[in-house]
Amino acid sequence: MKPMHSKIIRWFSAATAVAILAGCSSGGAPTVVNPITVAPPVADYTGPASANADVQAFRINLWENIKGNNRCGSCHGAGGQTPMFARNDDVNAAYQAANTIVNLSQPDQSRMVEKVVSGHNCWLQAPSACGDTLTVWIRNWAGSTATGGTQIQLQAPAIREVGGSKSFPATSAAFGASSLYALVRNAGSANCVRCHSSSAATQQQPFFADADVDVAYAAIRSKINLDTPAASRLVVRLRDEFHNCWGNAGCGNNADEMEAAVTAFADAIPITNVDPSLLISKGLTLYDGTVAAGGNRYEAATIAKYEFKTGMGAIAYDTSGLEPALSLTLSGDVSWVGGWGINIKEGGKAQGTSASSKKLSDLIKSTGEFTIEAWVNNANVAQEDAFIVSYSAGAMSRNVTLAQRMYQYEGYTRSDQTSANGNPVLLTNDDDEDAQAALQHVVMTFSPVEGRRIYVNGMFTGDVDAQGGGSLAEWDDTYALVLGNETSTNRQWEGVMRLVAIHNRALTPAQILQNFEAGVGEKYFMLFNVSHLLPEVPQAYVMLEASQLDTYGLQLTKPTFISLATNTTITNVPIAGIRIGVNGLLAHSGQAYQPLSATVGGSSYVAGAGQQLSNVGTVVAIDKTVVDDVLFLSFERIGALSYTPPEPVVPPPAEPADLELESDVGLRTFDELNTTLSQLTGVPQTNVRVRDTYLLVKQALPSIEKFGSFGPAQQTALAQLAMQYCNVMVDDNTLRAAFFGSLDGSGSGTGVFGTSGSPNMANRDLLINALIDKAVGTGMDFQVTAAQIREELHTGFQDPVNLTPEYFTPGLINRLVSGPTGASPLGGRTVMKAACGAVLGSGVTLIQ
Amino acid sequence: MNTPKVSKVKTVGLAVLLAGVAMAASANDRDQAKRIYDRIAGVPPSEATLDAMTALVAADNPLGAALIAVEAPSFYNVTLKNMAVPWTNRDQTVFAPLNDYVATFIGMVRDNVDFSTALSADLTYTVSGVTPAASPTSNAHYEAAENNAINLYGALTPAQQSAVQGIPATATAGFITSRAASEAFFVDGTNRAMFRFTLMNHMCRDMEQVMDTSLPPDRIRQDVSRSPGGDSRIFLNNCIGCHSGMDPFAQAFAFYDYDNGSAEVPGSMRLVYSETAVHAKYFNNDTNFTPGFITPDAAWENRWRRGQNSLLGWSTALPGSGTGAKSMGAELANSDAFAQCQVEKVFKTICFRAPVDQDDRDEVRDMTTRFKSNGYRLKQVFAETAVYCMGEE
Repeated sequence: MKPMHSKIIRWFSAATAVAILAGCSSGGAPTVVNPITVAPPVADYTGPASANADVQAFRINLWENIKGNNRCGSCHGAGGQTPMFARNDDVNAAYQAANTIVNLSQPDQSRMVEKVVSGHNCWLQAPSACGDTLTVWIRNWAGSTATGGTQIQLQAPAIREVGGSKSFPATSAAFGASSLYALVRNAGSANCVRCHSSSAATQQQPFFADADVDVAYAAIRSKINLDTPAASRLVVRLRDEFHNCWGNAGCGNNADEMEAAVTAFADAIPITNVDPSLLISKGLTLYDGTVAAGGNRYEAATIAKYEFKTGMGAIAYDTSGLEPALSLTLSGDVSWVGGWGINIKEGGKAQGTSASSKKLSDLIKSTGEFTIEAWVNNANVAQEDAFIVSYSAGAMSRNVTLAQRMYQYEGYTRSDQTSANGNPVLLTNDDDEDAQAALQHVVMTFSPVEGRRIYVNGMFTGDVDAQGGGSLAEWDDTYALVLGNETSTNRQWEGVMRLVAIHNRALTPAQILQNFEAGVGEKYFMLFNVSHLLPEVPQAYVMLEASQLDTYGLQLTKPTFISLATNTTITNVPIAGIRIGVNGLLAHSGQAYQPLSATVGGSSYVAGAGQQLSNVGTVVAIDKTVVDDVLFLSFERIGALSYTPPEPVVPPPAEPADLELESDVGLRTFDELNTTLSQLTGVPQTNVRVRDTYLLVKQALPSIEKFGSFGPAQQTALAQLAMQYCNVMVDDNTLRAAFFGSLDGSGSGTGVFGTSGSPNMANRDLLINALIDKAVGTGMDFQVTAAQIREELHTGFQDPVNLTPEYFTPGLINRLVSGPTGASPLGGRTVMKAACGAVLGSGVTLIQ
Repeated sequence: MNTPKVSKVKTVGLAVLLAGVAMAASANDRDQAKRIYDRIAGVPPSEATLDAMTALVAADNPLGAALIAVEAPSFYNVTLKNMAVPWTNRDQTVFAPLNDYVATFIGMVRDNVDFSTALSADLTYTVSGVTPAASPTSNAHYEAAENNAINLYGALTPAQQSAVQGIPATATAGFITSRAASEAFFVDGTNRAMFRFTLMNHMCRDMEQVMDTSLPPDRIRQDVSRSPGGDSRIFLNNCIGCHSGMDPFAQAFAFYDYDNGSAEVPGSMRLVYSETAVHAKYFNNDTNFTPGFITPDAAWENRWRRGQNSLLGWSTALPGSGTGAKSMGAELANSDAFAQCQVEKVFKTICFRAPVDQDDRDEVRDMTTRFKSNGYRLKQVFAETAVYCMGEE
């Protein structure tokens, strides 16, 4: 025992030394020790052979991995601490010992796993990573006996009264002015800002000391316990974990200082009391619930797996259990999200070394097939060339890449049928919109026969690989695995990644569906005690299935009424109007069960399973942290009790502000102009010449009446259309006679209308008066006058500012007969058309 | 030709000159009569018509003058048509062909049909004497009428929409189930577009204006991500605000689709109605949030009867829930917001502006009251509005 004891001390001493060194450093976060990725050599086994197949399975899958003297074998080896499940002298004896601390039907519930997860001598930085790896080894040992489908034993949670509680203020104003923000921001008095800021040289999420107070406030909320400041992560990290303490006062004093600042911030927030009129259940936090075992994932061929459970640090551990572990380093803007996962933003990625990535190439080339599986939530459906999972060496060289292109997923694979960059790419059908900004299970398989296939949420997308299968022999084992980007950092994918697994087999559709249905993240049964509201039902609960949807919300599903008492019969218990409360307040949004109305009992109620009240799920916002938030339910009716909260008073809308006055005249629009011109000239709209012109200029004419929208193009279009109508009308004997009466217009311009010096006033009057009578109208103040029309067409007018002769404009008819039109044999009608067009194409027609 | 300098000024055209004259001048009886006619009919009146209307205006009966104008064919062929065309396509463009939706609107105004049935009636209008005949699979009938400049005032003929569209009478819902609306808003997608555009066109509100994040989300379908991009705050603060109200309304359209075929197989290009099963489009992206609402039927519910949207003035004579588009359309069209929206649309069409001040708002309110109490006759609203905006002496 003695030598072993000293080993333990040495082991702990080394770990503590690292922690202290890190804690004393003043230049930033502690340097992360690289995990051991290669099992140390162990003396060849010389003990008895495996007694049976199960012992052999234990040996291959678990024992070989843990017997090393830098793992469990360090203490639990032969002659060491009991249980000696890692003893190297007798695998059968080790098997006997191991059986006392494993649960082969639910490997993750094994004592061995729980012990390591709770912090017992994990050989990695993150105990959860060791736990997950051990779970895989045990599951591999268990093989088909690990079903995970055993009956859940619901545990009655301890009674937790829903009392007054504090909630974070909605805005960051109070935090921005607090001594707490000042403390974490001050590099002189604390170390936080040296790393936990987006502007720090060594950036480290969360950015609770960011210069942007909104960013800092969003990040620090999960690190503060408003009801018990001493339990705040900000304080615990200093007091118990000696994380980057500052000055010479010691971590204890630093923790006191931090606690005082948190307390001052919390003291300024009033306690929210529960409305005493409400009929409420007892309270519960998520983790007070009973853990629901998820369905089993198919992982027989998993060669790398990332569950992102660590929640801190810069390493995403490979928990596939297959050595060497291909752990990834997070760089750039990558933050951990609640409920397991990482959030990758612009500049972020998670990348492994090419040395540790080599196992992918080796193992996949050995089978010639593979599967890439990812639970992802795309940040948006606008990003292109967004690489989700890539095993590559830059934008031009890859073995395989799974990527997003807006609503499509795309898969590149290098084979003897494709290029060294994996082209041509396999794209999912654009119309199917397979990629969504929602949590999705995305899988790409490759087999030598079918080539690439992409599955989304358990279903094959139906997109066939035109290149077919092929050989992967050309894969380059010097490439690196990278998530959320390309190794060259120029193929950014943004979103949340909650699980990534790589298998060296092409999973079957059934296996993919199995993994989809197993889901991601942990699920709990939250049992809300309502016995005090229902004295007639013993141990009465309303149960909700709950899981953390993302950093900001809890997903709640399947409200179920259940009595934990055995042999209970329930008859007709009405339940209606269930609302979800968080920390003393009913949630503003997400009250999916408020319309619910059900009667529990009779054949609908099944003893032991209860009666499900609704099949829809909902989301409620996390208020403080998922650990601290106390949830409760309120009821409008339960059993004999009822209380309907008053409807919130809806204030009448404010009287709208007066708008700026607008012109009360406007333009005639395209169709109105066309109809107006047709009506004035008598030319039908169906006339081919006018219809063709109308279709040509239609969209250049005004489309709205707003006076201010008038532009030169519209004037030009109207002039064209008016001229065409006049043209057709003057050329048509009947229409011309109907409009101009006896004015025929045959002959030259001067022949019909005279010259400017000797005008033919009779014909000119016929022309001008017809236009005034037919197109302009008389007797209105709100219209151009007959004199103005006459001035425009005949008399001419003087510039109102410049009164000299050169600023005089002759009338239109005189200008025309002075030119070629005067002598033209058809000039008379040309003048008629021009005058008609000038009037009909003017504001006379345009304005209404 | 010593005109270059002056003619530069003149090139702006008579329009501007005359506009200046027009804006500066005050209006006499004849001006007011002309404006009433112009605004309603979209074209200038004949001398005889103007004389008759001027006499009525002078006799302090401008409404009488306006009631002459609303019988002008161009009121139907031009003003009403161009008012309604933007309601019938997603781009809201006025440069779209005449269709059954627009024809039905014009016909309802002409015949003084109770406009509160606009979203529920088994009614359509066809154009007599036009070939090809109205068809559930083509808009050619209406395009032919428009291309031949048919006088809709005389030629529009009421018909049962169910007979023309080939759907059960119980499945008709006025404008909503017209061929044009189906083509524009039941095509592809999730049928939410039909609700949104109906809300915009006939309740004068887009979704942003009716957001209410406090309503229960239990009827929001599975395709709406509860954690868009991994951030459930977006859902709880934005998405839920519209979908909590819209999804239970749009469930009324669960049996409708527009068959536009695919790239490989041409569709029948018609409204398809089947009560045998909820259309597959209601289950698009059903794994985005598996515990979301799974549409079992066409039962709709107006969740906006509670909360801030109760201010839309829902009819107390209706139950606020039902099955199918017809009763849902009636729910919308019997609200105060619907009636007020119709009056506001007329106001904008006739006055060329939205109501800007208290006088305008009072007038709209009073006209809305009269509109509702006088059998929802929209033609009367046009006449009254034209009088209100005929200009001051």
